[in-house]
Amino acid sequence: MTITVFDAHTLPADDNVNPYAFSVDLQGQWFLQKGKMIAYYGQISFDGIGHGPLDGLVASSFHSPLHASDWVVASGKGRLLLADRAFDVNSYDLDDGNLTIRSGNLLAFDPRLSLKQSIIPGFVTLIGTGKFVAASNGQVHFVEPPVRVDPQALVGWADCPSPCHHYDHQYLRGFLGGVRHLTGIGGASGEEHQFEFTGSGTVLIQSTEKLIAEQATGAVPDEQGVPGGSPRWSR
Amino acid sequence: MQGAKVLAVDLTGDAVRAKNGSMVAYEGTMTFKKLTGGGNGLRGVVTRRLTGEQMAVMEVTGTGTCYFADEARDISLVPLHGDTLHVEASNLLCTEAGLRTGTTFTGLRGASQGNGLFTTTVEGSGTVAILSTGPAIGLRVTPQTPLQVDPGAYVAHSGRLTQQLQTGVTFRTVIGEGSGEAFQIRFEGEGLVYVQPSERDTVGGRL
Amino acid sequence: MSGFRPVNGKMIEATVNPGQVLYSQRGAMIAYRGEVSFTPSLTGGQGGVMSAIGRRVRGEAAPLMTVEGRGTVMFGHGGHEVHVVDLAGELLHVESDRLLAFEGSLRQGTVFLGSQGGVMGLVRGQATGQGLFTTTLEGRGAVAVLAHGGVFELPVTPGRPVNVDPQAYVCHRGQLTNRLTTALSWRDMVGRGSGEAFQLELSGQGTVFVQASEEKL
Repeated sequence: MTITVFDAHTLPADDNVNPYAFSVDLQGQWFLQKGKMIAYYGQISFDGIGHGPLDGLVASSFHSPLHASDWVVASGKGRLLLADRAFDVNSYDLDDGNLTIRSGNLLAFDPRLSLKQSIIPGFVTLIGTGKFVAASNGQVHFVEPPVRVDPQALVGWADCPSPCHHYDHQYLRGFLGGVRHLTGIGGASGEEHQFEFTGSGTVLIQSTEKLIAEQATGAVPDEQGVPGGSPRWSR
Repeated sequence: MQGAKVLAVDLTGDAVRAKNGSMVAYEGTMTFKKLTGGGNGLRGVVTRRLTGEQMAVMEVTGTGTCYFADEARDISLVPLHGDTLHVEASNLLCTEAGLRTGTTFTGLRGASQGNGLFTTTVEGSGTVAILSTGPAIGLRVTPQTPLQVDPGAYVAHSGRLTQQLQTGVTFRTVIGEGSGEAFQIRFEGEGLVYVQPSERDTVGGRL
Repeated sequence: MSGFRPVNGKMIEATVNPGQVLYSQRGAMIAYRGEVSFTPSLTGGQGGVMSAIGRRVRGEAAPLMTVEGRGTVMFGHGGHEVHVVDLAGELLHVESDRLLAFEGSLRQGTVFLGSQGGVMGLVRGQATGQGLFTTTLEGRGAVAVLAHGGVFELPVTPGRPVNVDPQAYVCHRGQLTNRLTTALSWRDMVGRGSGEAFQLELSGQGTVFVQASEEKL
């Protein structure tokens, strides 16, 4: 219950201070989601992305100009503390890899990585080599496929092909299910639908179905064949 | 101590002051009495009224063990040896009876948060229990290493520190494109600042 | 040997096999492997239809689902801490909304806590909103309960009762009698309460589990 005290030199470099706060040893630039900085030592400036001298970064790191406005560039030299509403915070190293994550869970990343919109609405994909910091409601639990995950508990996945929808057909089809479906008697179990992962890779789940508020990933081009893109396309 | 989210206080006829409604359980005999004002006598009450610093306090007396907790927030103990701790009233859980509490004007920082211009000060010798959303982190400030803190993550500070509100160096590169870190409190001098790994909903923090 | 294994502080994993049913709060499944089905349950536990009706009448709403099949299932809910209690024949009272999952080997029932003072107790409890509907579970098996901020256990022994803020009460184990009490005089209660107007007093022999928050689930 006593408070651990750090100073400008004893704060960890690119590591967690406690499970809920991460300290970046800034030498140059990092991208942060707006409003996630809690404190810093040193000379650091924060700028909106996409304007003036930083315009070039959009081309090199974001690839999608549409959501760049939710991000801030921290530039300078010092120690930067990041946190997000006391959610668990973890850093991940990607080594020439790819990881797709719910946009609201991504807090910050190293500019060596590039961030792209996923074709799954609400998710973004990080590609390349470098470090990023993500938040989760409860610790992240890693599981290997095959696994079926409650949609709201999914944080992201790495190297996994083909996340798909799974419906509990036994329940939906059965006589009782039909009756329930029609009359509402008995209610729904709330588990009729999951995301299914197969193949090799890692799935990241958080220990709760309570979502971290979603961060807009930006609209996708309004074209046929683009998920979430066209109202004519869906349903 | 029962982990970092529950504070167990053993009482042997003495008293502690605690945030209203923060008792979760007790053993033994206890009485709870609501206090108006922070214990500075009439003057304290009047100042508090004027400043609007909300601090509903109760006094707990009795014999036994009393357990305090508040919305699963983390609890940290700060020992005071005649020095002063400045703390946001909403972050103050419990003080030993020997400590004096009061309010001070903090100027602009409060204004940026929209939650009052005054913070609570605790002085004397004894232990203070403070609340934070997520475990509090102590950050030392020296003349060589000033510290910038997001107003929403600020919990408390002690020592000889001056604080000023600063705007991000290039605040708003273009209209409508704020950096999200528009305001920071800059602490200079010699002392300790406590921050929490989360941000209160602030007016200034989300520009 | 508990049927529920903690994954981390907020998640548990359970194995289901044919013939071994689990009950869980609806919508609390996080992930699973294998062939497992989730069906809304009207009754839940071995109390049968009568206890379900009893529950309806008393207005207790803790929608459950039956989990059966073969595989492993992870449960969690709302970002709250999960605490596993293993029962070896004793009786557990748990506030219904906090019940995350329990093994089908346990017998389930319902009582209104704070009603042991007779009708007046019941009325008072409901009138003040401080009363608690609790589910009782008895037998051998594991129970997972939810708590905001984690739980701590307080032993209760004869002559050493424990008082709990009803909002922070999670569950209790053993033979305990309970009573809603007030620690304030009438004068104090009117207009200037300390926020601790009612307390749940538990006495007897057992353990009370209290959470680090006044947030009701």
